[in-house]
Amino acid sequence: MVPPAYKKRKRSPLPSHNGDREPSHIQDSGALFEQQSKVADKMASTRSSLAAQNDTRSPSTLTPCSIYHSNLFQLQVDELLLKVRSHEGRMANAENALRKLKTIIERIPNREPRSILQAEREQHESHTVRIPFPNPQPKTDAKFTLAYSKPANINVVGSYARKTAIQTEDQLGIDLAVTMPLSIFQDKDYLNYRYFHKRAYYLACLATAIEEAEECTFVIKYMYQHGNHLQPVINVSPGTGDDDFSRSNCQISIVLAANGAMFPMSKTLPDKNCVRTKTEEANTSDSLAIPTPFYNASLRSECSSLAYLKFLHGASLQSIGFANACVLGSVWLRQRGMRASLSGGGFGAFEWACMMALLLQGGGHKGKPVLSKGYSSYQLFKATLKFLAMTDLVAKPLLIKAEFVDVTASEHPVLFDGARGMNILYKMTPWSYAMLRHDARSTLDLFDDPLSDHFHACFIASFNDPKQKFGSIILLPLRQIRPSASRTTDAISEGMAFCGQAYQALKTGLGDRVSLIDIKPPEKPAWSPMNSKQHTTRTSRIQVGLLLNPEQSNRTVDRGPSAEDKEKAAAFRKFWGEKAELRRFKDGSIQESLIWPQKDPQKTVLEQVVTYIIRRHLGEEAFSGSNFIREPLECLLPYQSITSAEARAVHQPGMTGFEPLMTAFEILEKAIRSLKGLPLQIRQISPAHPQLCYTSTRVPILNPSQCQMDPANVHVQFEGSNRWPDVIEAVQRTKIAFLLKMGEILEEATPNLSARLGLENTDRKMLNNAFVDIIYPSGAFFRLRVHQEGELHLLERTLRDGSHTQAGRDEAGSAISTYKRNFVHAPLHTQALRNLSTRFPLLSPCIRLMKTWLDSHLLSTHISDELIELLTIRTFKHPVPGYPPDGTMPAFLRTLAFVAKWDWRSEPLIVDCSKEEKMDSKAINDIQFRFEALRKLDPARNRVAIFAASNIDPKGVTWTELGPPNMIAARFTSLARAATALAKEQGLAFEPEALFVPSMTDYDFVIYLAPKFTMGQHGAEKAVEPVFKNLQTRTQEDRSRLGFNPVRMYVDELRKLYGNNVVFFYNSQGGSVIAGLWNPQTGPRPWRIGVPYNTTPLASSGDGEDYVSINKHTTLHDIARLGGDMLLRIEVKQ
Amino acid sequence: MPSSAKIPLQIAGYDILPLSLPRLASFPQAAIHYLYVAPHQPKLPTSTASRSLFLVNVPFDSTETHIKHLLSAQVGLPAGRIEDVQFEGQRRKATNSGGALSIKHKQDKNSKKRKRGSSKIALDDMEGAELPSTWDRDLQSNGLTAVVLFVDRASMNAALKAVKAVRKEQIELVWGEGIEDKVPALGSARYLNHHQLTYPDTGQILESTNNYMTKYAAKEASQARSAAKQRQEPDEDGFITVTRGGRTNPAKQEAAQELAEKQKEKQKGLEDFYRFQSREKRKERAGELVRKFEEDKERVRKMKERRSRFRPE
Repeated sequence: MVPPAYKKRKRSPLPSHNGDREPSHIQDSGALFEQQSKVADKMASTRSSLAAQNDTRSPSTLTPCSIYHSNLFQLQVDELLLKVRSHEGRMANAENALRKLKTIIERIPNREPRSILQAEREQHESHTVRIPFPNPQPKTDAKFTLAYSKPANINVVGSYARKTAIQTEDQLGIDLAVTMPLSIFQDKDYLNYRYFHKRAYYLACLATAIEEAEECTFVIKYMYQHGNHLQPVINVSPGTGDDDFSRSNCQISIVLAANGAMFPMSKTLPDKNCVRTKTEEANTSDSLAIPTPFYNASLRSECSSLAYLKFLHGASLQSIGFANACVLGSVWLRQRGMRASLSGGGFGAFEWACMMALLLQGGGHKGKPVLSKGYSSYQLFKATLKFLAMTDLVAKPLLIKAEFVDVTASEHPVLFDGARGMNILYKMTPWSYAMLRHDARSTLDLFDDPLSDHFHACFIASFNDPKQKFGSIILLPLRQIRPSASRTTDAISEGMAFCGQAYQALKTGLGDRVSLIDIKPPEKPAWSPMNSKQHTTRTSRIQVGLLLNPEQSNRTVDRGPSAEDKEKAAAFRKFWGEKAELRRFKDGSIQESLIWPQKDPQKTVLEQVVTYIIRRHLGEEAFSGSNFIREPLECLLPYQSITSAEARAVHQPGMTGFEPLMTAFEILEKAIRSLKGLPLQIRQISPAHPQLCYTSTRVPILNPSQCQMDPANVHVQFEGSNRWPDVIEAVQRTKIAFLLKMGEILEEATPNLSARLGLENTDRKMLNNAFVDIIYPSGAFFRLRVHQEGELHLLERTLRDGSHTQAGRDEAGSAISTYKRNFVHAPLHTQALRNLSTRFPLLSPCIRLMKTWLDSHLLSTHISDELIELLTIRTFKHPVPGYPPDGTMPAFLRTLAFVAKWDWRSEPLIVDCSKEEKMDSKAINDIQFRFEALRKLDPARNRVAIFAASNIDPKGVTWTELGPPNMIAARFTSLARAATALAKEQGLAFEPEALFVPSMTDYDFVIYLAPKFTMGQHGAEKAVEPVFKNLQTRTQEDRSRLGFNPVRMYVDELRKLYGNNVVFFYNSQGGSVIAGLWNPQTGPRPWRIGVPYNTTPLASSGDGEDYVSINKHTTLHDIARLGGDMLLRIEVKQ
Repeated sequence: MPSSAKIPLQIAGYDILPLSLPRLASFPQAAIHYLYVAPHQPKLPTSTASRSLFLVNVPFDSTETHIKHLLSAQVGLPAGRIEDVQFEGQRRKATNSGGALSIKHKQDKNSKKRKRGSSKIALDDMEGAELPSTWDRDLQSNGLTAVVLFVDRASMNAALKAVKAVRKEQIELVWGEGIEDKVPALGSARYLNHHQLTYPDTGQILESTNNYMTKYAAKEASQARSAAKQRQEPDEDGFITVTRGGRTNPAKQEAAQELAEKQKEKQKGLEDFYRFQSREKRKERAGELVRKFEEDKERVRKMKERRSRFRPE
């Protein structure tokens, strides 16, 4: 009970809540509920937003705050509640069906008690419907009798009755509870399945009546309620004519209930045994030792469905926010795939509601309630999540109003409701409970991140797809085994027992390689009432999901207990069998250990461990039928290699392939720093290239005979000096002198190093004009440029100077943005990625995969690498379900899913690239403001389509002002949508390779390149591969061709010449095609001198004006002429 | 594509000269390029305009050689009558080489006032100091124009007549036929050349850089001298011009602004000293909150309009 004191403290500043700040601010704000609940009360809600906008935790703003996370969130939640609860109008049909069913059931005549044999025979002879007896089947000579008499009452129960059911695409479940009369049961029926056998007969009677009733056409089936084989129920599907309630999109279940007072509660407590074997009946003292909690709870749940309906109704009367909090909870659970059924985790909307109602009564410190009745719906929701996340109900079972019960610790969670005598979590397994807590924790984490879309992540996005969740998924054939762990007689189904065994084995064996193991037994489908039992399909498989620990999952050495610890060592040996070996490690310790060889790049260490465990502990049958859904994704990455050693290096997981280049970079850095004879000291040497932050699509291979194709950019910044010239052009020329000097000294310092000066942007005098290519004898290839800070100042002065023409100012403006992009942001971005890559080992493969994906769809030249990198960083830094992806596949799919949903037209991309600290809300608001200003200035998004900002680049246009344009951005989104849809549709049979196959049908024409010039796997240079190792010496001629990529130059020139009229698509990683789309704005137009395309004169139209149109055919010919020998053919779409 | 019969002889006063393009292995279909030819009539009449032809829609790979060959050998006129061919991009280059800086220089010449105040060093005289080109042959963008300058007016007229004749007699002119070896090839050879030209000879680049720096230093020195002179001598009206670089520490506009802002900040004083200040602040905050609330409502409304999802997936 909430002490009324809370009410009094309304809106007073907090006097003494420093001890437990978090709950106190919830409680205090809870006092504001009455005001808050009326959304119209503007001031109250705005006051709450104040706190939400600032840091919610700072004590000064604790006062009337955070009833909702923010105003926006509150409004969104209101909208959501409106959407999911509005199903009144279309339920009329279902209501009619319910009434009809009720009349049919009420008409059923009583049946006299009879023996099991008689009953079965009668069903066989005169009816088609069979009796769905649960396992174990009743003995035919059993002494009890089966009977039917009029139900005590018929009620609609469950969330539909409480009006908290949510309306989604799924079918709405309506439970029609038929309460069986006391008269057909006996006192001891709670023992040995007798209740359940009688219940099964009762159900069969109902099914018979509905099946045989003439006025209705419902289709009925048997189904296990929540997958619990003890509780078959009747599932009613729409019939024809009047009985067609499919418009209501619901499913009616006829469930059976019993009078709550039928069996004494004390007999069905979790520590009692109700299933006795013959021998045990003789010796009762022994039998009591092994309780049957599942059986007991199943029985108790039968007896208390009405009691719970009343209890929950009471709770919603007491607490105004309760009903809405139930809805929010249902939505949250649904989006995470948690359901009430055994295969769905055993925690559904009902359990959520019960948990909240119980927590309103107690569960806190000294039995005080955890939740307050004054909480708003969102507060109830969040506090319940917090309770789930913080409390471990396995280690510390929670008993509410149940001082008399003594629950022994087991591996199952316990939340015992003393008033109704039931553990409401009885259907939960250790793994589903761990998963639920994990989800709760990560959702709370989400609220701490100011940059994630809380509302979307919490309620809208769906995380049902295991591919987006688990780094590794294994399918195991379901085997029916007896619970082997003990002699327990509990009614756990055999499939569940197998799951438990698999869980235990994998948990012990995988240790900290995984952070969570989730097991999903197959769903039990409904079956026809003509059969007494469900036919188990041979092929049913359980799905094991592993939430990996990326740092540890592929560890090659497992260190077990020390050899001296005899007991543990023996257990270790017993578990691992011949795989365990005693080893002496470098630090002198002698330990049991496991060594996993990493021979086959296709089979990761994790896969080896898992298959070994399955084979050893779950049997050969399980092993041969198991299917390890591995990550083929890394194999999709392109690589260039010539020897097998290199192939291995490339296939190494993570970023190891980049190490040689990183080492080479360190050598270069040292060499430059130690240069003597330069006029100025060196201030900074900064890498600015994907290869130097683990994100280039291809792993740079160092090989003396074959250099990597692209040089890695490095900027050298000298210390400031006032002797730099005062004119931008002269600065650029001075840099040439510096570069020449540096190259010269470097060549002298390292034998065999080649440094050559190259020119760029020779037609634009304001831009950087020169660079030096450094080629190490090892094959490392760097491109040095000089970064001079003063350039920016000079350029800005040019821009401000009123004396320039518009063209001159434009040029200066573009030079400024080029300078900032290349010299300011690129090094910062590279540095941020270097940091993040060490923090998230999967970031690098995922970025490379995203780039490969874009490459394969010919988009990579339009969308900058940095934009892709930011999008992928988002997946890791602001993960939507609240935790970063644990495998390449989840990371890739989540990134695609984000792109698919991201409305870049009206939402900015904001990413926090910092390692530790978070962006403050002011910075975020500034970015948001910038974005809105940009959209106001350019509503058609002609200049910048996508806005992507980060903490190191708050301007947000650095990486997108050169593209993609609207059209490409839209294509990007639609490709991501298609990919996400495909992944969703194919489920676990998903083949990611399919995402990487481009479609050529959308393009107007396709240019096929001659094979000599397509880079394929090895690059253009490697068309002829020398056979003999000693012939691979590099000649000067070879070196001069380094970095030569004619196709890229060709595409660049095509863009320059025809960019206004044609959009070109090209795979920058060496595709064999260039595709093109005509700009639709190239229609006929009146003659003038400067028509921006190759024209054909049209016959005079007679109105005096002469028209010309684009000469597409000749333009294609021009394209072919420019390409010359590089082209094979051009295909034009008809 | 439209057959050549349907193509009018003239368009807006320009003669249309169809050019067949050579068949290529990668694009074996026939293609025709249309060149528009007329006597040159510039807006600002020049001395050479009367003996020039104006070409519109020149092919992207036109070079001087191409045009000369086309208007002499191919249309059937004796060689050597064409003095010069200027493409549009090149024309622009010729008038203002040196980019933005020389534009400024030109303006300096026009305005007396500017001229005196200018301290910018104009580097338009940079022979021997330019960076070597990295392309063996320039390409012309679509729709670009060219001016062909003939030795005399008669040759120009003859050329124009020949163009008309070609059309009348339906002679097929093949673009670039016969001069294939005289111009650098396109395709991979062009890019290989470009790649090699990107890395010029070190000696050459060193020389050009040194030349540039020497010239730059000389210009800078002369500018400094003239500025110093201006500082010391009054002009004819008796005023001494204020020029840049007079003091040892040149005052920078930015630094001065920064200083002024800092000073302003200092003068602000305490913000919560008087009661009215805190009252106003509170009011402001409340107003801010109302505004934020309205904004959020607006955002949700917009989301609804965009049909953002409020329904769980």
